[in-house]
Amino acid sequence: MWHRSWAVSACSLRCYSTKTPIKLVAELRKLTEVSIVKAREALEASNNDVNAALKWLDKDLAASGAKRAAKVQDRHAGEGLIAVSLLSPGAGGRSALRAAMVELNCETDFVGRNDLFGQLAADIAHTAAFMSEQADFQNYPVDVLNDTPLLSARHLNPDPSTTVSRAIRDLISKVGENVVLKRAMTVFQEPSPNSKEGHRLISYLHGSVNDPMQGRIGVLGLLKLSSPQSIFQSTSSRENLERLERALARQIAGFETRSIHSDSQDETALYQQPFMIAGDLSGKPVGEALAAWSTTHGLDQSALGVERFVKWAVGEPNEEL
Amino acid sequence: MFASKFAVASLSRGALFPTCRRSWLPSALISRRGYAEVYNRAKPHMNIGTIGHVDHGKTTLTAAITKILSEQGGAKFTDYAQIDRAPEEKARGITINSSHVEYETETRHYGHIDCPGHADYIKNMITGAAQMDGAIIVVSATDGQMPQTREHLLLARQVGIKRLVVFINKVDMISDPEMLELVDMEMRDLLTQYNFDGENTPIVMGSALAALEGRDDATGASKIKELVAACDAWLELPPRDLEKPFCLPVEDVFSISGRGTVATGRVERGVASKGTEVEIIGLGDKIKTTLTGIEMFHKELDRAEAGDNLGVLLRGLKREQLSRGHLIIAPGSMKAVKKFQAQVYVLTKDEGGRYTPFMANYRPQLFMRTADVTVGLTFPPGTENAEEKMVMPGDNVELICDLGFDLGCEVGTRFTLREGGKTIGTGIVTKILETV
Repeated sequence: MWHRSWAVSACSLRCYSTKTPIKLVAELRKLTEVSIVKAREALEASNNDVNAALKWLDKDLAASGAKRAAKVQDRHAGEGLIAVSLLSPGAGGRSALRAAMVELNCETDFVGRNDLFGQLAADIAHTAAFMSEQADFQNYPVDVLNDTPLLSARHLNPDPSTTVSRAIRDLISKVGENVVLKRAMTVFQEPSPNSKEGHRLISYLHGSVNDPMQGRIGVLGLLKLSSPQSIFQSTSSRENLERLERALARQIAGFETRSIHSDSQDETALYQQPFMIAGDLSGKPVGEALAAWSTTHGLDQSALGVERFVKWAVGEPNEEL
Repeated sequence: MFASKFAVASLSRGALFPTCRRSWLPSALISRRGYAEVYNRAKPHMNIGTIGHVDHGKTTLTAAITKILSEQGGAKFTDYAQIDRAPEEKARGITINSSHVEYETETRHYGHIDCPGHADYIKNMITGAAQMDGAIIVVSATDGQMPQTREHLLLARQVGIKRLVVFINKVDMISDPEMLELVDMEMRDLLTQYNFDGENTPIVMGSALAALEGRDDATGASKIKELVAACDAWLELPPRDLEKPFCLPVEDVFSISGRGTVATGRVERGVASKGTEVEIIGLGDKIKTTLTGIEMFHKELDRAEAGDNLGVLLRGLKREQLSRGHLIIAPGSMKAVKKFQAQVYVLTKDEGGRYTPFMANYRPQLFMRTADVTVGLTFPPGTENAEEKMVMPGDNVELICDLGFDLGCEVGTRFTLREGGKTIGTGIVTKILETV
């Protein structure tokens, strides 16, 4: 009832037409996607000034977002996205490697398919990749990442007061579902001092809706290559390498892959699997295919090798790396 | 004489293909033949679903609908706990149980499902486990539409729902009518934005909880009645099988000396009588002929109806001209299709499907009605990096199906994909691309 009486008094005191607040509420909702009740409260508290209301909301979200987050925190969040940020995949085969993979969970895939959720997942992956120090496919502690200011690849000037956890809480108050940052892992390696040997990061995400760097299954892997210069000198062999890298990462994601090498005919080992790639190498065991590829590109048989990989699927039990 | 043979054929067919989702229809019709008086199910049936945010009261609304309609004798009251048995069902792998809640209004019979997720629903729709012909979008008045409401509407679009009814719930928590106007206005904008009829879509404002608790008739029970009435009036009934043009997929062909060529099968839809002109399409053929006889259970019939297992005698046709997989249809009612786009669910290995992924140009066998042909699968034009796109078991995916032989089909026709004796996928035609 007090909403009503306030509206009436505002009307009589300031001669606002009763329609104005509604329009402003609509405008504020378009800008922020906060709930109707919240949008109205913000305008009431700031004399129907949209800019002031935005500031008020910003402040209020910190408190009310936390409240809403607490309300939903026990609910199971088994949907969501794996997002990869590949800041430096090892250009030229010798430069530094920098990347991260994160899993952000929510309750339904309706929210998981929404842009707001996807953008946040991308930003968190970007933040983890950016902040990572010397890491070799290691888990990045989630609580540390939660307290890190959120960086964004899309906005050059992020708000330094917005941490990852704050951004998650803001999203919770918009979508009303539990949103949890479940895990993160990062890779960072200095440029290789040895010009004879280089590394490349490979990645593939399956089940993307909006962004090819996000999906329901994510793979991030490390490819070793010797004499990288000879490959990167020509555009065609570089493109061939990139195609091969995509095929490798896709292979790891698509097949049930648990290891790289195996002595027996174990098809959970990558090198034993029939390679799923267009062209001559199709169907050959991946190990042989890699050797054949190296030979045809004038390299030593063992010039290429998958050194390690991490594969995640949304909602799977959290395993230590 | 041919009756016993086709009975066997139809058995095996029943095992291969999911039966018609309104299976009560054929059985009711068959029984009509044997008895003078039959139960006449006059009310047309429709499947309806609720879509909405987890906290906006879908379950409460469903419970309230059954409660209010049970007072009129149109439903069995199904309370919150009975509806919300999702955790156990999830554990058993059942995401949507379509036969779970049903109710009747004055003019219709509804089957009601809840739609918990996008991928879950798409899978259920493709496999035929659950179907929505119309939907109720549930939005709380306190929150208004949420970011994911767009995803709810996109889902409805994707699965071919043309009309929706909106229920704005929890209005008793908002005292200002202007706020409700805003919710209404925003919802209409969004509906229009997603190609629904935003202007005319019924938006009902009420409180499901009030209705369930039996208080505040004005926002409670009477609003539920209004919602149900809106569903009756606005949501369009799917055409009933009997009213559709005749279609009989050929299961087997016999040559009966002295009479001619007989095709057997189960009438998928429509009616036809002795002397009706029909067309035979599929597998490269298009032949016009006439039904000169209809026989079921060794008895002559005047009329073939949807659901009947029968044999038909065809004028002037040689046995070699007809084979399993042909369709006998009302002339011009269906086209023979060489290429179509489809929404396909690829079975996981636990469901008996493939262990490994596949890429474009995969060629399994396609089974549609009684036909089976090889099919080449590719991705729709505009697919980014299509030559490198991978499909994994468990995926829902849009595919272009290029058939080895043309088959009679149309949008909505279901099929399965098989390879080496295993069903690896199931699909539904969404767009016809090339006809013969």
